[in-house]
Amino acid sequence: MRLVENRAGSERALIGLILLEIAIFAVTGPNFFSAANAFEVVRLGVELGLLALALTPVIVTGGIDLSVGSMMGLCAVVFGYLWRDLHFPIAVAAACTLLAGLAGGALNAIVITRFGGAPLIVTLGTYSLFRGIAEGLTRGVDNFSQFPASFLYLGQGYLGGILPAQAPVFLLFGAFYWLLLHRSIYGRAIRAIGFAAEGARWAGIPVNRRLALVYTLSGFTAAVASLIYVAHLGQARSDAGTGYELLAITAVVLGGTEIMGGRGSIWGTLLGLSAIVVLQNGLRVSAFPAELAGILTSAILVATIAIGKLQWRAAPVSEGIEEDEMKNSQLAVLSAVILAGSLIVAGSNWWLVQSVRPGSMPTGAAPATATKRYTLAVMPKAKGDPYFVSCRAGAEEAAKQLGADLIWDGPTDLDPAKQNEVVEAWITRGVEAISVAVVNAPGLSTVLRKARAKGIKVLTWDADAEPDARDYFVNQATPEGIGETLADEANRIMGGEGDFAIITGALTAANQNEWIKFIKARIVAKYPRLNLITIRPSDDDRNRAFSEAQTLMKVYPKMKLIMAISAPAVPGAAEAVKQSGRKDVKVTGLSLPNMCKPYVKAGIAESVVLWNTGNLGYLVVQASEMAAEGTLKPGVTSIEAGRLGRIGIDGSQVVLGKPLVFTRANIDQYDF
Amino acid sequence: MKSRAIAIGIFWAALLAVLAWRAPGFFEFANLRDIAVTNAPALIVAMGMTVVIIAGQIDVSVGSQFAVASVLAGTLAKAGVPLPLTALLTAFAGMLFGCLNGALVTALGVPSIVATLAAMAFWRELLRWYTQGAWVQGLPAGFQWMGLGQAQGEFAILTATVLLFAALVRAMRNLQAGRAVYAIGSQRESARLAGIPVNGISFGVFMLLGALTGLAALLDSVRFSEVQSSAGAGLELKAISAVVIGGTSITGGKGNLWGTLLGASVLAVIAPALTFLGINAFWEKAIQGGIILGAIVLERVTSQRRSK
Repeated sequence: MRLVENRAGSERALIGLILLEIAIFAVTGPNFFSAANAFEVVRLGVELGLLALALTPVIVTGGIDLSVGSMMGLCAVVFGYLWRDLHFPIAVAAACTLLAGLAGGALNAIVITRFGGAPLIVTLGTYSLFRGIAEGLTRGVDNFSQFPASFLYLGQGYLGGILPAQAPVFLLFGAFYWLLLHRSIYGRAIRAIGFAAEGARWAGIPVNRRLALVYTLSGFTAAVASLIYVAHLGQARSDAGTGYELLAITAVVLGGTEIMGGRGSIWGTLLGLSAIVVLQNGLRVSAFPAELAGILTSAILVATIAIGKLQWRAAPVSEGIEEDEMKNSQLAVLSAVILAGSLIVAGSNWWLVQSVRPGSMPTGAAPATATKRYTLAVMPKAKGDPYFVSCRAGAEEAAKQLGADLIWDGPTDLDPAKQNEVVEAWITRGVEAISVAVVNAPGLSTVLRKARAKGIKVLTWDADAEPDARDYFVNQATPEGIGETLADEANRIMGGEGDFAIITGALTAANQNEWIKFIKARIVAKYPRLNLITIRPSDDDRNRAFSEAQTLMKVYPKMKLIMAISAPAVPGAAEAVKQSGRKDVKVTGLSLPNMCKPYVKAGIAESVVLWNTGNLGYLVVQASEMAAEGTLKPGVTSIEAGRLGRIGIDGSQVVLGKPLVFTRANIDQYDF
Repeated sequence: MKSRAIAIGIFWAALLAVLAWRAPGFFEFANLRDIAVTNAPALIVAMGMTVVIIAGQIDVSVGSQFAVASVLAGTLAKAGVPLPLTALLTAFAGMLFGCLNGALVTALGVPSIVATLAAMAFWRELLRWYTQGAWVQGLPAGFQWMGLGQAQGEFAILTATVLLFAALVRAMRNLQAGRAVYAIGSQRESARLAGIPVNGISFGVFMLLGALTGLAALLDSVRFSEVQSSAGAGLELKAISAVVIGGTSITGGKGNLWGTLLGASVLAVIAPALTFLGINAFWEKAIQGGIILGAIVLERVTSQRRSK
């Protein structure tokens, strides 16, 4: 009996937490507290929510399924492949994808039940396996888009104009899982297994069959989540759902499901999910730094579980009056956690104000100009990427000069789905201009069109969206220009002939794959005696690039050049060449001058190619200010961009200029 | 669980045989040395992870701990702190991270996977927020290779790894605390009734793993002249994979460090082996996952045959 009461208590505490979040964000986030935003939150939560629903019974049995995120990637690729390459009708392709999900789940189930593998290890294996097959099938490069509108409606449409189209699917699954876990004989069996699998077996429960059921269902549900994800983003890629498994597990555990099994509820999972999704959305709408989402989620998670455990120990056997106290103390501590979190936020804002001036927070130091003060939102592809960090300095400089409020935020790592969520939050918040370095053009364009329809000026930079989804594209250099410059550099350094290898970022990185395409094209057309021997991934990790370069030098002793086209990969490859003591291998590539300075000066990295990133950030903010005030409009052929002087406009493209080539002679002139 | 290590050993021998046949250059001393030096830090983390998993716990936050410790080491060195003190402070910081995990698990009763899942996101995001992705650059010349020069530096890293490994093997086998780790991993309650300080030992294994992670971060950082702030991404999965491939039971109580050495060696060899064999990089993750699943299936098959 106490068990039930205790759970109800923690669920009430979660409701309190969610209400508190809503109360705080209603104050800090413009338009956060609106019906439209509420529906948006629902939409953002669906894919994650489906995984969390599927994981609840799995965790209640005392197991775990780490493979659900990778399963989404595999299903996305299978779906795209069936539809585009095998020309299946969309419904048949979707049905086959669901079957693939079932099969993947069944694989987990078989290895766990028939071969007695621990769920953690088995699904750790399929975590790599599913993602690996998805990458292998697409060679990392291929992606599928241009799905018919009727399919995209599932992820982007609104029923009756307001309700996101995927919401009914989610409700259906929520109801199904609720019935399964709480109103069926299966649910009892699942809980019994979680408490003690051996005991359940003796009680006549077919343990293996029940386990097989939950893992197979988990694969199936991940396939459904994958279809919705693809419809939501308009693109199917092998990196779909990366990292979703951990967030889904967090939601389940936050919802009071016992990680060791036995206890748990769908209702709790939904609450845990809401707490996470509302927090993420609220932070974005309030223009607080994205990193806070992870920090606060983990703090809340530990606090909730710890409080539950302490009570469990402290709770007297008899209950009654104490129970009320329990709830109160729970609420009190949770409130304290959240308040502490928001204090951090407030403190950080104060700290950031000097350089950023986030959002519409009134700051005393605002320049006394009569003109309107615009809020300009700028999004990098990934916040932690040193390349984009160096763009930010220029953006802040421009905002300061113009007296504009700059919001600089984006995903903390490469995740196409997150960009959509941030833009949605900015639309809700209401800003004058949005500038995005686009990761996934087909997916983001839908949201950008929505922003334009609401009268927000939309610019893209670094990488473009579909042309009708934005007003202007601040073009630093075309993929073609980069590819050609890199190929020209290779030809120059190698003296016109020889073998070279490419070290790229992640195999699935769209940018890099585009550059590689043009590098190859240029070599075929102009430098037939250059020979590209292989392409290796570095996952944007310096150390990985280092090991890859080491191995390449041994396997291909005649190789004359390593071309690294991800910022951390150039110093990684150069260090490997330095440590090998080889003088006949050179390094070139695309990276930041500061990162490569020692290697360029030592003559190991012959050259590094990049545009002036500070100027790029500067120009983006200048252009978006002008677009917001209406001076940058169709027909304008050039703009006066602050310290950059006159910048030409080509159609709807603001052109920064050619990429720079940094060599030993000029690298000291640049500091970024 | 021995049979899993045997299954993996067979696979490994087969892979090495193929390499010897198709790409004998793989076995050149320079290549083996480079692979060893590159993977030594991950092995040190996996060693600590083995102890944690034998104790019936898990720690998925090591990658984030590793990143914070790396940046800390770089920042200290840049501030002019002498290297021995930097090393000490880095290991100490790692130990503190481990203590935090240990405290959440033992004092507050948070299951280790939940506590360390939270710690993983917490440290990673905090570091991202603090560094904003910037690397620690402009380190003093004496930082790389601890001022020893490349050859001696590499030798020092390998020596440190071997010594740590030997010490830990001995401790797990011969020391009271080592036996206690196995005891609490195989049956917590019995261990408690037998007079073993269960909470103290559990706390201790997290502390040990944290300190080893800090040390590994330092040994990894000194291989370069700059510190990247995104270090250690995916390290937790690599370490856990190495441990379980090596035959250690994920539920605790069974396993040993030799198995982990085997597991870490297999994982270390896959990527360079693919390049040597000219196999496309796109299949790398699939092969890694396949090995883990294959090991589980083989284990079952071999153990059934033996029991017949």
